[in-house]
Amino acid sequence: MNLSNGEHSNMQLQISLWRLIITELKAIISDKAIAVTLFGGVLFYSVLYPLPYLNQVPTEQQLIVVDLDHSSLSRQLIRNADASAKIQVIGQVGSITEAKRFIEIGKAHGLLVIPEGFRRDLLLGKGVTLSYGGDASYFLIYSAIAEGLVSAGMDAGKQVQLIGMLAQGENPKQAQESLNSLHLNSVPAFNPSLGYTPYVVPGLFLLILHQTLLIGTGILGAGQWRHKGYWQQVSPVQLVCGRTLAFMLIYIFFTSFYVGYCYHWYNVSIQASLGLVALWLLPFLLATAAAGVAMSTLFTRRDLPTQVLLLISMPILFVSGFVWPIALIPAPLVLGSQFIPAVPAIMGMLELNQMGASWASVMPKWLQLWGLFAVFFGLSILGIKRRAKILLAEANDKRRV
Amino acid sequence: MTEHTTDAQTVDTLSEPRAIDVSFMALIVALVRRELRALWHDPWQLALISYIPLLGMLCLWWLFSAGLPRQLPVAIVDQDHSQLSRMLTRQLKANSVTAPQSFTDLSSAVSAMQQAKVYAIVVFPYDMKKDLLTGHKPTIDVRYNSQFLLVGKLLSSQIQLSLGEGLQQVASLKQLATGTPKSQVAVDLNPVKSQTTALFNRNNNYIGFLVPPVLVALWQLLSMLAMANSLNRELHLAPVMQADGISDRLTTHFWPKVLAKMTLFTPILLLQGGFIIAGLYLYLALPMAGSLVVLLFAQLAMLLAIWILVLLIFVLMRDSARVISFCTALFAPAFAFMGITFPTHEMPQLAQWWRLIMPSSHYIESHVSVVSYGASWPYVASQMSSYWGFICLFPVIYLLARKLLPMTVNLNAVSIDAAMPAKGQ
Repeated sequence: MNLSNGEHSNMQLQISLWRLIITELKAIISDKAIAVTLFGGVLFYSVLYPLPYLNQVPTEQQLIVVDLDHSSLSRQLIRNADASAKIQVIGQVGSITEAKRFIEIGKAHGLLVIPEGFRRDLLLGKGVTLSYGGDASYFLIYSAIAEGLVSAGMDAGKQVQLIGMLAQGENPKQAQESLNSLHLNSVPAFNPSLGYTPYVVPGLFLLILHQTLLIGTGILGAGQWRHKGYWQQVSPVQLVCGRTLAFMLIYIFFTSFYVGYCYHWYNVSIQASLGLVALWLLPFLLATAAAGVAMSTLFTRRDLPTQVLLLISMPILFVSGFVWPIALIPAPLVLGSQFIPAVPAIMGMLELNQMGASWASVMPKWLQLWGLFAVFFGLSILGIKRRAKILLAEANDKRRV
Repeated sequence: MTEHTTDAQTVDTLSEPRAIDVSFMALIVALVRRELRALWHDPWQLALISYIPLLGMLCLWWLFSAGLPRQLPVAIVDQDHSQLSRMLTRQLKANSVTAPQSFTDLSSAVSAMQQAKVYAIVVFPYDMKKDLLTGHKPTIDVRYNSQFLLVGKLLSSQIQLSLGEGLQQVASLKQLATGTPKSQVAVDLNPVKSQTTALFNRNNNYIGFLVPPVLVALWQLLSMLAMANSLNRELHLAPVMQADGISDRLTTHFWPKVLAKMTLFTPILLLQGGFIIAGLYLYLALPMAGSLVVLLFAQLAMLLAIWILVLLIFVLMRDSARVISFCTALFAPAFAFMGITFPTHEMPQLAQWWRLIMPSSHYIESHVSVVSYGASWPYVASQMSSYWGFICLFPVIYLLARKLLPMTVNLNAVSIDAAMPAKGQ
């Protein structure tokens, strides 16, 4: 970063944008902290973050059964539950307290209680109630158990109904029809497998790109402002252009790796064309790089940008609206988050690429990203001017002393 | 302490044997004072232990403050315009989770869903009522947005529940018309009723489910940063003797200095952890089966594990930017590995191993068992035995510190970076 004097005098003369970009690239690569964050971080996170979710859907959740009936029908119900892909019956106990103890020590995650007289009441034509319980400390486990048990219970109920109707002398076909008079065809859209990686990866990976880019520009700037260097030799506009373009050159590769290869590898559903995705990501990367340069002028300690960005990454993830619906996030938070490039970028990317929205409908967010780019570009020029002034004043002070 | 008045260089070489004279407690007290001074002069460290945690925790809680997903927009495309379709729409309106919005045609509903303006579409087909009355089997199409997994799953079950309830009314009318006695109708339609109970989190509240692990993850990051910054500071001090007789040389009194940092930061961060627990379980009054004191005890164990990890990274890296980068890389994904959003036993083996490196995943298990199951001291203590790996790290760190730290000191002596600013903005 600290160029020798000879090179300094050369650069007094207007240096071309290309040379500036190359200087920037050299500064980025020769700085170990930046190189580790950019190259190491992007690669490491592409493996580590989705790692827990690789199995996609929770299956075979352990269920403990309290069978107080001990009849043929209750045993059939248990077999039905066990046959469900979401549930694995691990055993039977005599009482609910005992079953609860199984849940508390983590051996089971749900319980099914079959009441006494289950079969007899059904045959007598009385209604019976099955109780299910799932550990709602873990929502995904709870929903898997509830889904599995409800469908098993409904199946048992239908069978009893059918037997009852047939016994009353209805013809089998009509009996079937009056039981299912109307068909509910409920199908997931956009993420047909209900998998966890197609849900988490598209948004999360854009956030990783956003954060590492901000950290990279942040460390680079924070390390420079207090020392003389090439950054003073060019005009602030040139510097911002050069730095943004240098990071863009690197991030074109990272983004292609994430959005191209990683999306494919993690089974993310893709709806938009390559051209549209590229067009979408262009202002995102530009705005993020400009925001990084603008933010870097606030720091002079190289270890601070990483810390600040680390602390705000979880809030950004949750406010971006794919984990927790935007409709439920308080309006001031949503409004405030619109200045973070990742927030409109993630939502727009999901709409465009995962949910197949038309370009016209994501256009406002695209323009918003360009607007953010313009704002941060201006702010970074102001910030750099301020830094140059401060450095000059400090140098003058020293000279006077 | 008054003996150390000679030139800094000579005292520095002598200070180690003389330190034995000074009583250990006095040394620690002096070192804690030194840490306090350093803390007071570092605005970022002060921010890390004061307003940043407060702001972060309030923001994250505010974000999820809705608690229960309610009034999620659902598009209704009614092509039937019958009394039945209107009745089913009212059913959906009566459900607190769904907020039906009418769309005249399917294409506008689809584009609204693609823009995440509605989270599901329900289509009542043309002639639905007529088909139902004439014994055909009409189909109601439901599409829910599973790109937003949490919302999609919830809506799918709630829409089915609401519509199923409405359709039962239709079926019961049909039965009554054929002369079934009223008492029999309900049993005929639904012989097996089910009662589903969400154990330990009765109303499926997201604040009780998601906010504690999120805050614990944030708290872990804060603890890590506070300790890493405090250790990093030692790297940038010129190796001179201070007025109170404590050397700023990295290797001098290294372990007492670490101990002083721990005695200072452990109570401060425990206070933050206690604030999280008190805010969630006393102020917001989330259900809590066990005792808060046990949780504090578990938090203390987690803090000690964090200190050990940070110390290991510090001894290995010995460069402030790299220490921060590596700690960040290690701790940032901790939330995903806690096993709250995605169950632990469904993770691949590699993830389950990686999970053990994170102190937060050890803590969260104690947290859930205390909060949900009301676990008591002995059980939580037995859970804490899972930290054994961290204790094994201790001798490793000690050996590494003896070997590696002197190298850094010698390097620094050659090119001491006096320009390192103590102040950041």
